[in-house]
Amino acid sequence: MMQTVRFKIPPNAGLRPSRSALKVCLSALFGLMLLSSATFAQEFTVTGKLTSGEDGAGLPGVSILEKGTTNGTTSDSDGVYVIRLSGSQTILSFSFIGYTTQEARVNSRNTIDIILIADITQLAEVVVVGYGAVKKSDLTGSISSVKSEQLTAYPAISAEQALQGRAAGVQIQSNNGAPGSDFKIRIRGASSINASSDPIFVIDGFVGGVLPPPEDIQSIEVLKDASATAIYGSRAANGVILVTTKKGKTGTTNIQFNSSYSFQEEISRLDLLNGEQFTDYITEINPAYVSSGENTDWQDEIFRPGAIQNYSLSASGGTEAARYYVGVTSFDQKGIIKGSDYGRFSVTSNLDFTASKRLNIGLNMFAQRESQNGTITQEGSGGINNTGVISSSYKFMPDQGIYEPGGSYTTALVGDPTDNPVAVANEYQNESLTDRFQGNVYGEFKILESLKFRTSFGATVNNGRTGIFIPTTLNQGRNVGGQGSINATKRTNLINENYLTYTTSFGTDHSLTVLGGYSLQKFSNESWGATSQSFITDAVSFWNLNGGAIAQPPNSFFSESVISSYYTRLNYSYKGKYLLTLNARSDGSSNFSKNNKQAFFPSGAVAWNMGSENFMTNIPIISFWKWRASYGLTGNQAISPYGSLARFGTVYTVINGVPVNAVRPTSVANNNLTWETAAQFDIGADIGLWNDRLTITVDYYNRVTSDLLFALPLPQYSGFGGVLSNVGKVENKGFEFSFASRNLVGEFKWNSDFNISFNENKVLELPGGNDVFTGSRPGHLIGISSSTQILRVGYPVGSFWGFEYDGVYQANDTFIPGAGFEQTAGGEKFRDVSEDGNLNSADQTIIGNPNPKFIWGFSNDFSWKNFDLNIFFQASQGNDILSYTLLELETMSGFNNSTTRALDRWTPTNTDTDVPRASGRPQRVSSRWVYDGSFVRLKNIALGYTLPAALVEKMAIQKLRVYVSAQNILTFTDYPGIDPEVNYSSGGSGSGSNQNLGLDYGSYPNAKSFTVGLSIGF
Amino acid sequence: MKNRIIKIFVIAIFFSGIGCADLEENPVGLLAPEGFFKTTKDVEAAIFGAYGVIASESLFGRQFASALMLRSDMVDIGNRSTSAERVQVNDFNMDDRNGMVSRFWPVWYQVINAANAAEAGAISLGLSEAEINPYIAEARFIRAFSYYHMVRVFGDLPYIDFAVSNPLALTTISKTSEADIYAGIEADLVFAKQWLPNSFVSDVRSRPTKGTAASYLASVHLTQGNYADAYTEAKWVIDNRATFNYQLEADFQDLFRADKADALKETIFTFDFLGLQNLGSLNDDLMGPMVGVRNTRQLGFGVNVPALAVYTTWNALDYRRKVSFTDSTFLNNGQWVGYLNFPNEKRPHIAKWRRFPGKANVDGRFSDFNYADFRYAEVLLIASEALAESAGVNAEAEGYVNQVRARARNWAGTPTAFPANVATGLSKTDFINLVLEERRLELAFEWKRWYDIKRRKLGDVVFKGPGSLEPRALFDPTRDYLMPLPATELILNPNLAPNNPGY
Repeated sequence: MMQTVRFKIPPNAGLRPSRSALKVCLSALFGLMLLSSATFAQEFTVTGKLTSGEDGAGLPGVSILEKGTTNGTTSDSDGVYVIRLSGSQTILSFSFIGYTTQEARVNSRNTIDIILIADITQLAEVVVVGYGAVKKSDLTGSISSVKSEQLTAYPAISAEQALQGRAAGVQIQSNNGAPGSDFKIRIRGASSINASSDPIFVIDGFVGGVLPPPEDIQSIEVLKDASATAIYGSRAANGVILVTTKKGKTGTTNIQFNSSYSFQEEISRLDLLNGEQFTDYITEINPAYVSSGENTDWQDEIFRPGAIQNYSLSASGGTEAARYYVGVTSFDQKGIIKGSDYGRFSVTSNLDFTASKRLNIGLNMFAQRESQNGTITQEGSGGINNTGVISSSYKFMPDQGIYEPGGSYTTALVGDPTDNPVAVANEYQNESLTDRFQGNVYGEFKILESLKFRTSFGATVNNGRTGIFIPTTLNQGRNVGGQGSINATKRTNLINENYLTYTTSFGTDHSLTVLGGYSLQKFSNESWGATSQSFITDAVSFWNLNGGAIAQPPNSFFSESVISSYYTRLNYSYKGKYLLTLNARSDGSSNFSKNNKQAFFPSGAVAWNMGSENFMTNIPIISFWKWRASYGLTGNQAISPYGSLARFGTVYTVINGVPVNAVRPTSVANNNLTWETAAQFDIGADIGLWNDRLTITVDYYNRVTSDLLFALPLPQYSGFGGVLSNVGKVENKGFEFSFASRNLVGEFKWNSDFNISFNENKVLELPGGNDVFTGSRPGHLIGISSSTQILRVGYPVGSFWGFEYDGVYQANDTFIPGAGFEQTAGGEKFRDVSEDGNLNSADQTIIGNPNPKFIWGFSNDFSWKNFDLNIFFQASQGNDILSYTLLELETMSGFNNSTTRALDRWTPTNTDTDVPRASGRPQRVSSRWVYDGSFVRLKNIALGYTLPAALVEKMAIQKLRVYVSAQNILTFTDYPGIDPEVNYSSGGSGSGSNQNLGLDYGSYPNAKSFTVGLSIGF
Repeated sequence: MKNRIIKIFVIAIFFSGIGCADLEENPVGLLAPEGFFKTTKDVEAAIFGAYGVIASESLFGRQFASALMLRSDMVDIGNRSTSAERVQVNDFNMDDRNGMVSRFWPVWYQVINAANAAEAGAISLGLSEAEINPYIAEARFIRAFSYYHMVRVFGDLPYIDFAVSNPLALTTISKTSEADIYAGIEADLVFAKQWLPNSFVSDVRSRPTKGTAASYLASVHLTQGNYADAYTEAKWVIDNRATFNYQLEADFQDLFRADKADALKETIFTFDFLGLQNLGSLNDDLMGPMVGVRNTRQLGFGVNVPALAVYTTWNALDYRRKVSFTDSTFLNNGQWVGYLNFPNEKRPHIAKWRRFPGKANVDGRFSDFNYADFRYAEVLLIASEALAESAGVNAEAEGYVNQVRARARNWAGTPTAFPANVATGLSKTDFINLVLEERRLELAFEWKRWYDIKRRKLGDVVFKGPGSLEPRALFDPTRDYLMPLPATELILNPNLAPNNPGY
């Protein structure tokens, strides 16, 4: 059956012919079509009917191919086919999406009926990609998929947490264990140094949409290589996470109810000195010290049993004309520290209508309220005024009580007079509330059988409010008579997407999909806030700022930005074996500088289904083998709105006791500022063995991000600190492996999923080639130099910078001279790195690397009869942690309590130790505080029992499963802090999120949970 | 039907997309430099920008003032576990990466850049001399004031006296010599003296007048040893004190009461901090906590604490000692104790910036102080020293010191006998030393002492001599009269090398 080329793009249909990039793609496309010419002799005819193994119905659209030739056809609407063959002894191959491909030797038969069996293996799955979906076997890019069962394996605070450890190349870390804290997601390492390295989320096609709760998610696809991501252009350098929410299916109504309750407690505690031991220690430094005589375990006083209640209820179903999925979820967490809570409530509604034979329309709606009560942890600077509850519970004197005799809270008697942790937990008020609404409507019109047009309009509105009140029962409040503040933000994101998809096949071997579209997106960002001090009473909270006698300068902010984009993709497949994908996106962004408003990002990929080649069919254990290779450019917008413009900043100036209008030049323009560009090469293979019982995916990638945004240091005598410029390069390269194995498939089933990722991060270029020092110390640890980390060419981002600790000086050692360094027995000894016979700042060096050598996740599912068991491990290996917590506690200067390591401190009679003697000494970052942060964590273990169907059907229940599970109950690590899985000063999406890695200070510990749950399907 | 739908979609694409994709940025709420200067009001706002930065934590709110205090023999480090950078400035073992320098160096140049931008903006208006020169004079005064501090701390410097639009073009310039910088300072001050007004509305002292410019000229000449010129300028200020409304305050304590700061007649130039207000580091002053007593109700950091000898060598009959020092305070438990029972640094602490901060945090931060960089008492002492140097000791020179001493004898309204008038007949050397001692006590803890030590090359005497208040064996006169330029600047511009000797 020959087919003439009938390929026509309607004039003006969304593709802008003036775009040169598109022109290139289109001409390439036409060129490919011309390749489709093959003729052959026709000698033998076979006919037959293809039916589905599930219901016996005829299967239309099945590809029938004469093996070893390009001769083929497809079945008609009843599943009937006719094919003329070159001979009577050939082999026919029958393939169809979602079904196992079958072959039949013709053996001179004229009728061959085949029952096709639905393929349950992963490789036949359809994978969502940007602006479409493809069969997994046709995929040319590197994409990891995570399904809803994995996302709901345990009660997760968000889908981000649920994604942890599930996909190769994806590292997800909690920045802080506090209820409602955010997670840091890195796909193949951090692609930037100063700009955000966060991937973008695309929710049902809505770029930058709001992430729904795990229960409403059908699948998550993580796009990793340039071939997969480049269609998102200037926002794709950090990878793209596509989220597909659950949709209704035609058929009976399905009602699902899930409920779980978790008991929580802190993952671990520090061993601290008790009142008596503390008094001994302090007396050694200050013989006049008089103990208050109490013995308070401050960790006991702030921790409490936590709990999570998680409920979800959903209904889905539909008719031919209309399908629906509606869901409600509720998540409530009582934190393990007094005063910290989190809750979210959301509704999801996905409706799809078949309006006519040609037109589908639909609507996704999502609304969520999130509320959070926070306490102070991971304080940026927490001296007397902003004491953190966790750090205070470690360092506060154990020989003091909670209250003074008069009933007020005690404050520290040694070191700074900080608040005690109970005061912070009880008195500090921080309440935030976030409301999110997202709506997205689409229309999909079938212009021709092969040509579809889709348009969508979406809006997200994100309203947040944070109120803080610091009463006079805390130092900071006492200092100013109480302080209240309220801050609000409103962010909107409006999007319109329009694209055409043309799908065709010509000849029997060529199939082609071409996509082209236009997108326009607008963002706006507003914020405003007010602060007021000196209240009559602590009872007012932040809802009566006008009751404060002294108002602080108010603040407000506004920015908006626009992105206008064209994108196109071509997928070409020859015989289903040779695959080609070309992508391109052109982004015009208002954030870009004057001379660089347009950015173009192309990518290409090829793949070869080697497993389908004749020479491979003889190797029975190999059921599938595909090679992939891709290369492309993606961008990181990086520049914030107005970031390239010169500015006069306003200055707070007082003349004659009154604030006046004042300005000064604060930044110079860079009209040539551009986005950061990541060039990524990826080569990989997808392999199926033993009939896909074992599937393996391997990838090697190398991504170099160039034109990194740096505030290029300017000579400071110019009056400017730096100008945002494109200098610098960083590289991330590594290997990823995923294994999915069905180890046992009988009555006792055992599936294993294992993924492991090796990423190496390296700085390739810096402004002027000079080292760049950055600092992350908690502000109140004032002894520490402000350079705690270094960016140096050839080294990873985040490298720790400090002295090399060489143990404790003994009495007859040679003391190395150096101002501010100890020269006494029992003092801290450091290595003279510069070998100049002196200790000084030249002796600092790189003392640790916070980037893991590899991370892995390992999940095992067992089932036997009605029982199921899941065991999920997650791990990180080879990463260092710099602990400011232990630095503060174990400097042994007598400013605060210490860990029980203090019991091993140097004394004339205890000299065999590396803990220095109790004595005042400067706080100093050294290798003494750098620890191996490797860990293996039993993230989840769950045992479930599904009640026998016969039993529950009487109750009109389809399925009822009860389970018990535990999260984070086991951690194997040598890290002496409480939790290796924390990151101080690493939140948000600024430079700190890339550079402040592996730091620990006053972090809210992650929680251990014990969960009981129930899920019912009606 | 089909065609119609296609048409609708095609039209929809056009209207939804291309029609509204405007990629130009029109920032609301941000100020662009282009076209900013339209009236003298805008020039004034740019001048005021410089004042705001001067009144910030990096300069006189803490860092710069503290560095000058610690460098002298009048203020030592209290809590030696404080930031190492402070200890190094105090102990004379700082290096070219010192954190205090890296804090105030760039901020001084922000002040200078603001002044230069204001000057350029003023000139761009094209107004008549009479209309615009007072504004230019104010901008040039700020520039001169800034370089005067900088040149005394660093010696040779990059000297920028124009508005910078392309900072990268400055990466190859060389340092300007100290002498040329002084020439620039003098030229700016002379212009300022010519064009500034005699006073401003409400007689504010945080903006310069003719009198301010002349006072600084006197100081600049004194520092360079041009004693005759110094005397001339100081004398001019003294003679015209009525015009400028300058006089010594009757009660020495009133100079250090935040609630009286705006009305002081003695102030010649001051930095106005408004109590309990701030915007980031702007208008943030931490002198209170820096000098306050640790672990007491002062909630101090106990960092800038004089050596005990400063207190014990100061005659207890001197009212100024009482005003200058906190020698007893309340512990946290409410007990009133003398300095021997202070919890940590058991010596008297500075009170000038702690006792009466007005509207302020309990620890003294965000105070209502105006920190005076120049007051009339200093003009008198300059006149006395300069006159003695240029014309010998005479009654006029003695009289200026006696005016200062007479005010000190007013013990909060009660006349006392101490300090007595200067004994007549002193040798020139003895008299000069007496004036320097008078300056040390009168201006104690007002970041003047280090400049006196430097200009009179007293380091070996005051840090290594027998009566040293704060002995510093490390003091090296070939190195320590200058601080190092930040190493980062020399990396960016190697033409600035070599750094100051010894660094």
